[in-house]
Amino acid sequence: MLVATDLVKRYGDVQALDGFTLSVAAGEIVGLLGHNGAGKTTFVEIVSHLIRPDGGRVTIDGRPPSAARGEVGVAPQHLALYPSITVREHLELYGRLAGLRRTALHEAIEELAVVLRLTEIMDRRTGRLSGGQQRRTQAASALVHRPRLLLLDEPTAGADLETRQAMLDVVKQRAGEGAAVVYTTHYLPELTELRATIAVARSGRIIARGACDELLRDLPGEVRVTLDGEEEIAVSTSDPAAALVDLLGRVNRPVTSVDVRNPSLDDLYRSLAVTHAA
Amino acid sequence: MLLDPAPRRLGVLDALHRIGALARHNLIIRLRDPGQMISYVAMPMVLMLVLKPLYVRALDQGVAQIATGLMVMFSVFAISMAGNAILSERTWRTWDRLRVSRAPAFELLIGKTLPLFVVMIAQQAILIVYGCLAIGLPVPPSPPLVLLAIVIWAFALLSLGAVLATLVRSHGELSVISDVGALTLSSLGGALVPLSIMPGWAQAAAHVSPGYYALDMMQAAVRGDAAGVVPSAAVLLVLGLAAGAFAARRLARGWGRGGLL
Repeated sequence: MLVATDLVKRYGDVQALDGFTLSVAAGEIVGLLGHNGAGKTTFVEIVSHLIRPDGGRVTIDGRPPSAARGEVGVAPQHLALYPSITVREHLELYGRLAGLRRTALHEAIEELAVVLRLTEIMDRRTGRLSGGQQRRTQAASALVHRPRLLLLDEPTAGADLETRQAMLDVVKQRAGEGAAVVYTTHYLPELTELRATIAVARSGRIIARGACDELLRDLPGEVRVTLDGEEEIAVSTSDPAAALVDLLGRVNRPVTSVDVRNPSLDDLYRSLAVTHAA
Repeated sequence: MLLDPAPRRLGVLDALHRIGALARHNLIIRLRDPGQMISYVAMPMVLMLVLKPLYVRALDQGVAQIATGLMVMFSVFAISMAGNAILSERTWRTWDRLRVSRAPAFELLIGKTLPLFVVMIAQQAILIVYGCLAIGLPVPPSPPLVLLAIVIWAFALLSLGAVLATLVRSHGELSVISDVGALTLSSLGGALVPLSIMPGWAQAAAHVSPGYYALDMMQAAVRGDAAGVVPSAAVLLVLGLAAGAFAARRLARGWGRGGLL
């Protein structure tokens, strides 16, 4: 669905993208990770046709971004709402711009209102909503026309638990219906819940891409055993369960606590950052 | 081979539908924050009443001077309305959100500016009608000519406002430039005091002010002098087209990440 190859973008002295390559299939959720300045937002802006790359190529369903507008739903990193306009009026505007009319528009709005828990606030102006409600309104604006490609740039930044859960639910639902999703975030557990393919960006390029399990396979987990409530033994290992069995077989003192931690996305992220910094 | 006209017609209808949605949306925004609009209509109305006796005593065409002069002056102030409307899209970050939609740049621009254009035309038309009803401005012999002059002047103002919005970095900057600029340009153009009694340097400098051409065109239109309307209308049209093209180019490309205070 989305194929980006060797994208290059420079802002003055800053190399925002430097050979950024990423593809996303229909129905796939790609969780795009990276520090601030890794190139995530620049990538989203290029795919949205807001800026042009200095080099490289992007196609959406085989077409350039300029020809695929309307197939794309974008929820930008920063809130982009009209404060004096209600939630319903936002959805009507973006729905109409995408070509929805009357019944189709009404049904799309009502469905999103339920899924994103907006029903109670549909006729309130967005300037008077909480941050989480504004985030959900912004996401709804991106989703109202059922785009085939969703670009969600940190959609849950600063959001409350209700907003985060609603967002994850709707992203899973849309991916289940066949939408390709690019989801940038700093909240790694969200990507685990979304069962997303992970892509890690650093210095304007993708340095790792794959299923979460694959990427975590070679990373060490940790076993921590406390003896007599005093002495603590910690073992870093790729197989924490086996290491625990081995450890318990060797000690002859009372074990007061056991902590087994499998490798997480945080570990992956830190490991890749260290590797590439070196 | 025959070409099927259906998709093309559908494309035009879709475009009209999108422009309609944008215009409706922008009209709602305007109507929910009507303060500027109201003050730029009410203030000249009050001033016309208060200043009329003075102008009638001082000038042969005192009523026409005060009615058209204040109309031009406060319509220049309305530049800030256009500027604010466009600058707000930038500060709210909504312009880029619209650019991602199916609507191409020209539809976004038309949808954005159409309600402003209507508001500006309404402001000027109301002031002319008020001039006739409240301070005795003679009813123009050719209302269509007056309407044409109003449309041309509104177009030029809208374009100038759009240019300002693409150049300034904050609402504060826009306010300073549009207010000081409006007062200077309209005064220099003869909106408050007729050019004939202004100092020589001011009479020479007046020709760089759009207010001068607007006033000249408007007074000719009110007299029903079609030939007198043409030269100034041409200058304002060229100015409006040039400014509009510049603003459209800037807006179509967006602002990127920089430029705001």
